[in-house]
Amino acid sequence: MWNKDRPVPSYMQGSTRRVGIMTDVHRRFLQLLMTHGVLEEWDVKRLQKHCYKVHDCNATVEKLEDFINNINSVLESLYIEIKKGVTEDDGRPIYALVNLATTSVSKMASDFAENELDLFRKALELIIDSETGFASSTNILNLVDQLKGKKMRKKEAEQVLQKFVQHKWLVEKEGEFTLHCRAILEMEQYIRETHPDAVKVCDLCHGLLIQGQSCETCGIKMHLPCVAKYFQSNSEPRCPHCNDYWPHEIPEVFDPEKEREAGISKSNKKPLRSRQH
Amino acid sequence: MPRGKKSKLRAHEKRHQAREEPENLVGVQATEGVREEFRSSSSLPLKSLPAAGSYSNPQGPQRATSTATTTAAVSYTRSNEGAKDQVEERPRSSQAQPITEPFHRGPLDEKVVTLVHYLLYKYKMKEPITKADMLRKVIQTHRNHFHQLLKRASEHLELVFGLDMKEVDPNRHIYILVNKLEGSYDGRLSDDRGVPKTGLLMTVLGVIFTKGNCATEEQVWQTLNVIGLYEGRKHFIFGEPRKLITKDLVKENYLEYRQVPNSDPACYEFLWGPRAHAETSKMKVLEFLAKVHNTVPSAFPFWYEEALRDEEERARARAAATAHTAATASAHSSAMARARSRAMDGTCSRAMASSSSHL
Repeated sequence: MWNKDRPVPSYMQGSTRRVGIMTDVHRRFLQLLMTHGVLEEWDVKRLQKHCYKVHDCNATVEKLEDFINNINSVLESLYIEIKKGVTEDDGRPIYALVNLATTSVSKMASDFAENELDLFRKALELIIDSETGFASSTNILNLVDQLKGKKMRKKEAEQVLQKFVQHKWLVEKEGEFTLHCRAILEMEQYIRETHPDAVKVCDLCHGLLIQGQSCETCGIKMHLPCVAKYFQSNSEPRCPHCNDYWPHEIPEVFDPEKEREAGISKSNKKPLRSRQH
Repeated sequence: MPRGKKSKLRAHEKRHQAREEPENLVGVQATEGVREEFRSSSSLPLKSLPAAGSYSNPQGPQRATSTATTTAAVSYTRSNEGAKDQVEERPRSSQAQPITEPFHRGPLDEKVVTLVHYLLYKYKMKEPITKADMLRKVIQTHRNHFHQLLKRASEHLELVFGLDMKEVDPNRHIYILVNKLEGSYDGRLSDDRGVPKTGLLMTVLGVIFTKGNCATEEQVWQTLNVIGLYEGRKHFIFGEPRKLITKDLVKENYLEYRQVPNSDPACYEFLWGPRAHAETSKMKVLEFLAKVHNTVPSAFPFWYEEALRDEEERARARAAATAHTAATASAHSSAMARARSRAMDGTCSRAMASSSSHL
């Protein structure tokens, strides 16, 4: 049995770092967040309350931001983090547990064959290079001959793409594929490093941009939710860079309250996909 | 299992043998593969760490590592016990003493982290973990340190995620991760033969629960049909589903299958079996259901309330059992209170008798 009164040895004190406290509430939260992969903020709050109810019902529920920072301080030494992001199409705040250490592709390596990983890399390239942030199924499948590893037929490739959708790496809309919001959270680092020239960046938040709107004059790009916030209640939207008239439809700022009141369920809502570039 | 002298000696010997694996030096000869994995442009202090050379004793890093983990264990255990113990005041995260953890990183430390990631991935996929896979995919050149790496990774999983590593097949070295948090006697239903019945069973338990703790056979089939299981049609994993749910799972006490009273023509209904009650809970089944629907348990308020009530009852039952056990333990450990213990002997044997019936 460890004697908890024993002092911390001196050789451990020099390079120490303050780390938070984990209780069963936090552990349960981590387990469930991990199982879901990615969750919207509202669900995350409910999840947090659920964990308190099950494991420590008398405690006050800590503010979500502090709760998560506390957990993240413990996760840091494991190169894992609860990351907060925003969906590119409709600005919903989302949380995901991401691996910071491994590159995305090697993380998938445990469960995908070499040719499958290469298919993902090719799809990713097409998505990044595209104007809209979407790569058509046809264009991806046309690349099957160039894949490393075992030869893959188009039919098989279709199934592999569906597997990526299932694992929340890609999202499919009307026969076209883009990155799942969780994949963006997880792979931003990797994508920036491996495609430094091709990668697009939002002029407002400087985050990685896959889908967004762009200025037709000077070419800068912005995320849809960034556009929504920037031009909110502005009757004459102008490009922040060149001041030219902003020609695209300004989306609405995401309002979680409004959505709850309207009783729209997640599955019913069809997010606006802007294809203006 | 405690790390005995033998394994320490073996580790010491291995260190002298394995010149190609200098684990005392940070980042010097880490393999390309390892470096690749940890390439990250964030501010993680990978390179700015104090060199492990500050430990003069070659045994130092080894012990330091395990000490570090057990130091972590102190605060974790303390706060965990605080949460469990209903008499003491629960330590809030703001008041509790923060633990400190040294930040030394050698190639072994990085392997531990990679192994943790791998194990978490397998947990997410609900797949068993084999030693062979771990060696091949993660541990690779550090095969000699398999047990040490696995032990350290398991500690992290336990302390941070509340997951326990259990060896389900010692011959073929197959492991699973189970949820060790309170609120579940055994986080995962046992699955010795490797057939993934768990998902199917959870589905059926879910139907039974959501139909008011008793579901007609027709209701169960409705749900199973949706996931592609049909009566009489052999499934390539589950075999013939009807046999599985009306015979096999009944035999294992996971389900109860009985005729609806006074039904003519006879029709049948399902209930949870005693083993299901013991190995899982309404809350766990609801969590499973929520995950399937890509949401959270509280999205089903009615069932959520029932599951919470069930959790409370279980907690009360556990508390009662703990009280008896505690009474027993204190009587045994107190050397001074011989006289008292003699008087308590009567209470003790009664407590032991009733606590064994609870546990």
